Amino acid sequence: MNARTITHAQLAALVTDLVAAGTAVTAPARAADGRLDYRHVARLEDAVLGGGLPRLSLKALFLPPTEPLFSFRLSGPDVAIDSVPTSFPPHVVLGAVPCDAAGVQALDKVMDWDYRDELWFGRREATTIVSVACSSRDEACFCGATGGGPTATRGADLLLVPLEGGFAVEVVTPKGEAFVAVHEERFGSAPNEADVARSRATLTGSRVEPVAPLAPVTAWLADHFEDPLWADVALRCHGCGACASVCPTCHCFDIVDEPEGVTHGTRRRNWDTCQAGRFTLHASGHNPRADQHVRFRQRVMHKFSIYPARFGELLCTGCGRCSRACPGGMDLPEVLRTIAERAAAPAGGAA
Amino acid sequence: MRELRDLAAKLLSEGTVQVVIGWEDGPRGVRPAFVTDPAAARNLVFDERCTQNLVPYLSPRRAHVAKLGRPAVVVKGCDARAVAGLVRETQLKREDVVVIGVRCGGVVADPSSLEALSPATVADRCPGCTAREPHLADHVVGELPPPPPAESRRDARIAELEAMAPQARWTFWQEELGRCVRCHACREACPMCFCERCVADKTQPQWVESSPHPRGNFAWHVTRALHQAGRCIDCGECERACPVGIPLGLLNRKLAQVASEQFGHVPTDDPAVPSPVGAFKKDDPQEFIL
Repeated sequence: MNARTITHAQLAALVTDLVAAGTAVTAPARAADGRLDYRHVARLEDAVLGGGLPRLSLKALFLPPTEPLFSFRLSGPDVAIDSVPTSFPPHVVLGAVPCDAAGVQALDKVMDWDYRDELWFGRREATTIVSVACSSRDEACFCGATGGGPTATRGADLLLVPLEGGFAVEVVTPKGEAFVAVHEERFGSAPNEADVARSRATLTGSRVEPVAPLAPVTAWLADHFEDPLWADVALRCHGCGACASVCPTCHCFDIVDEPEGVTHGTRRRNWDTCQAGRFTLHASGHNPRADQHVRFRQRVMHKFSIYPARFGELLCTGCGRCSRACPGGMDLPEVLRTIAERAAAPAGGAA
Repeated sequence: MRELRDLAAKLLSEGTVQVVIGWEDGPRGVRPAFVTDPAAARNLVFDERCTQNLVPYLSPRRAHVAKLGRPAVVVKGCDARAVAGLVRETQLKREDVVVIGVRCGGVVADPSSLEALSPATVADRCPGCTAREPHLADHVVGELPPPPPAESRRDARIAELEAMAPQARWTFWQEELGRCVRCHACREACPMCFCERCVADKTQPQWVESSPHPRGNFAWHVTRALHQAGRCIDCGECERACPVGIPLGLLNRKLAQVASEQFGHVPTDDPAVPSPVGAFKKDDPQEFIL
């Protein structure tokens, strides 16, 4: 699809247009404590584009930490169910980081697997995702090893690449194309390709990823469910689940019924994590994942073996939030490197 | 550092312990280390980056660590209070662990930080520290470094919050606690949250709603803070573990101030000193009881 341009002034006007028309605009913005969150913004000045990873990933916009599924009430001898809306008003995400947008797309597969998750897809369909190329990779990032990169378009409808005075606009999806068509007057002509190439090259740089491409890791995991490695690499894991909370692809949830008085209540869906002991605790008291290293193995297996086997793609976009968030100093890139070394060792050797 | 490494190697090679829990350099600053081979004791470090409290790894909930065998743990003075807490509350027998104390001049808030210890980078608990030399230790190693920066940002922040109108303070906590996603990382990383089944995980009845809506979040955070009153040893692990940056240390510190004012209790590494909730005295103040 055709590339376009947009100046900072036109982008500011576009945000103002959208908000005036009643379209919510969410962008990375500073919270009271100075850190970035995806928040509603009223003006472009409130957004921080290309300023790094927001605290929670984009997944929280599509799978909120808590959401009602329906409410119930006693109605005579019966129970009446009040459903929740599954269609949502139009919404624009401006300034998604590419690894977050990729995470949302990866999750589409599981959300449309054994049933179609109406709330997830209701929000997905209502939302246009405008990514901004990333200029803030640090030593925890490994997007390149997962097929991403600072200018990756996976999951984005439009990608903005910085140019002098504004951005090149890469149109990625038909939804992105339609968005540009509706706001045609805000967009300029095609960018100078040499300028875009220079900007991309600057962002990509000559960085060496901390992890090599992960196919050998996936292959090793397939037949190393039992391996001494697991007990070794997970000793410092507290099982706190901070990694899953900040992860753009961890999507497990718990379902609870919350009574609100005697006659009515709400069924809610809340984030959960396989890193918690209670996640697999049976009513009998038996826990098939009794030890923390087994729970950690589950997290690695799901992302790099189970999901690829079922859906053909990794459940990790290399954003590095898990390493940054871990109070125990666990580092997923290091674990993946260790596995890659085992995978490369001759059979019967150190592995 | 040499003294620490030599001691760890000796304890391992003579079979006194099977694992030394200390700190090592990792890919992102220092991190907890579990040394089982005497030769690997040379990887142990202690410096101003070693902010992590390692005592949570002694909690009975860490079965995967317990499997390594009898542990030695390296503690700063503040961390030693967690050992005392576990002994005081019968979660750990003192003789089941070898405690290696390190003399401390303060640590940075972020163990992955490359910045030196300064008033801007120091952990909230360090200013005014009175526990720079651990008492509850079988061995104490290292020279006593100069004291940490003196000014406490946290106490100043608490004073600011207390000076706010109630509505403004409420708004502040609504914003902060509103971010909570109820992962309970604060609990899992805490040395004193050792309950096999936390009240927040009980469902019959459901005392605390598990949903991260304002009602559930306030119920959880008030419960957590009150269960720590007079028990919190102020290591800051809860706040450091929080993936959304909730300033839990403000709540812990405020309750510690109350425990000090009302009961004369200050966190200590003497396990014989009871915590206010663990002891009854006839002259306990009760004017706050309705």
